[in-house]
Amino acid sequence: MKKIAFILAILGFGLICLQQKSYAEKKIAHTEFSDMAIKECNSCHKSEGIAPNHNADFIRGHRVLASKTGNNCSQCHSQKMCLDCHQGGGTGDNLTQSNFGRDYKPKSHRSDFITIHPIKAQDNPQQCYRCHEAESFCNSCHSRFPKGSMRIKSHMMLGANGQRYTFAVGEHATEARRNLQSCQACHPEGDVCIQCHSSGKTRPHPRNWKSGNIKDRTNAKMCLKCHLPGTY
Amino acid sequence: MTLKRMFCLLTGLGMLLSTGIAWSAEVHGRSSTQYQWFTDYLTGNKQAEFGQYLNLSVTKIDPAGKLSFYGYGRGNQDILNGQGFNARLYFLYGDYSNLFDKVDIRVGRQFVNYAAGSALVDGGKIDLKNVGPVAFSIMGGRNVIFNLDGEASNDNDFVWGVAANLVGLKKTDAELSYFMKLDDAGIARDQVGGSFKQYLFNSLKIYANTRFDLTSEAFSEVLTGVKYYPNSDLVLTGEWYQSYPIFDNSSIYSVFAVNRYQEAVFRADYTINDKITVNAGYSKQFYGEDAEADVYGIGTQIRPIDKVQLNLNYDYRTGYGGKLNGGAVEIMYEPIKPLELAGGIHYDTYERDRATGRETARKYWLGSKYKLNKSMAASARVENNVNQQYKDDWAGRIAFNYDF
Repeated sequence: MKKIAFILAILGFGLICLQQKSYAEKKIAHTEFSDMAIKECNSCHKSEGIAPNHNADFIRGHRVLASKTGNNCSQCHSQKMCLDCHQGGGTGDNLTQSNFGRDYKPKSHRSDFITIHPIKAQDNPQQCYRCHEAESFCNSCHSRFPKGSMRIKSHMMLGANGQRYTFAVGEHATEARRNLQSCQACHPEGDVCIQCHSSGKTRPHPRNWKSGNIKDRTNAKMCLKCHLPGTY
Repeated sequence: MTLKRMFCLLTGLGMLLSTGIAWSAEVHGRSSTQYQWFTDYLTGNKQAEFGQYLNLSVTKIDPAGKLSFYGYGRGNQDILNGQGFNARLYFLYGDYSNLFDKVDIRVGRQFVNYAAGSALVDGGKIDLKNVGPVAFSIMGGRNVIFNLDGEASNDNDFVWGVAANLVGLKKTDAELSYFMKLDDAGIARDQVGGSFKQYLFNSLKIYANTRFDLTSEAFSEVLTGVKYYPNSDLVLTGEWYQSYPIFDNSSIYSVFAVNRYQEAVFRADYTINDKITVNAGYSKQFYGEDAEADVYGIGTQIRPIDKVQLNLNYDYRTGYGGKLNGGAVEIMYEPIKPLELAGGIHYDTYERDRATGRETARKYWLGSKYKLNKSMAASARVENNVNQQYKDDWAGRIAFNYDF
């Protein structure tokens, strides 16, 4: 069914292309307008039916505009515009922008972001990974903290250091399904997971688990972390 | 390794500059010399660093103006804490455009964006255009990954991708792309992406963006939205977003069952007049198994007189994951043309869970910038962080910029 939908999508895309073969209406390059103030853009766009897109919603919404080939961002902006926020650079132009150490911070990282990031990261868990590599970035900080000093809800139930849960009482299964990324931040190798979730113990896989896909792509290296050869 | 790369960068830039002079190329850019002081969060030690940024473009190298080079990097030297030298090369690439009026070629370190995936790569990108209603793009190279201390890429970190996008239609955008990421274990990510945008009736924009993960055979991200703008001063936005956490195939977490995250967003942006714009938004978040959260936000930008701008933002979050209640105030003032003064406060109260209780974080900051002449400017910014960890934590930067 999915394959059929995929083929239909391709065909539909092809049909649109053919239908538009006479493409007469070319888009206007914006390079010559790059020095204009944003409010002046309306002098053209007002009558063109183009939605204003450099407004207060830009930080949240620019991904849809920028994350595609053929975007026209480079007609006005250099890659510095992207990487100052996405990779922590800056030349001091924007006084409202603060630093985290030597790295400049995007405006979405407000006040004491280190402390509030567990809450902010819940607002669309994918957004952290637009700039940060999940495993290496989070762990480069989390690994330096002594075990027991992180306050995760499911880890606060039991144990002298508040870092132990039990199968019967603990909330870790629910928490992990909702926010597995946070587990990876402190346990990048998943060593604690394997203690209970390896072969013959509690099955961690989703219901529609396609084991062959991951086996083929990793030459079975992943499978062998929990299963004996020939048993998966 | 970083030092070696930085040396290569500077040597390369030197060569470019000399080449530029010989060929009457246009060389423009900015040198930014900075001094920063802050507290190292992990050690608690005060740290002070000198930083040097260089942003450079060399254009019109050949008579037709098709070849250009662009670079941007920084080097930092700690002078207080013994952490030594740290460097980051953001991009450095050569761009040859309009080969046979059909091909753009870009080689070097660059940021690449496809709907299926984006990456900072040491490699190349080739765009094929003017061949009909569809343009094509292919890219590939070493995957550049930064962590807190510098580059964290391994020897086998690579990415590549291909994309096809519709061109020539003023009110329609569509893209279909493929993105593959490789690491030590083999294929880490294997994704198809799509993006679509259509303007309708002079007042409506519909758009969608998706990524499909071929390993888990699941849509890792789906976004659909509509913007209604009866006039250019008012924009109403409605979006539906869902994501399914995907991990690299080399991570043990890629084999675990996860919940789908879903989010509905409603938002209005209104420009009342030249002096006031306002916005308000609400998003409902669904984490699965009855876990939900609500986020409300409002903001305004006020320009009472030409020389003053005031920005206010406030948001309130409650539900799964914790409570967050706070915002930011910023004011910018330009008393005389070359001088800019600014200041602001961030204030947040939050409660991560019942056991931690309510906590408060505040940031107070002041900044100023003075344009010495057409090509030189100096700026300074200081901030004090008052929060759960620090009663007072001062940090800041001083920058001297030279544009050429």
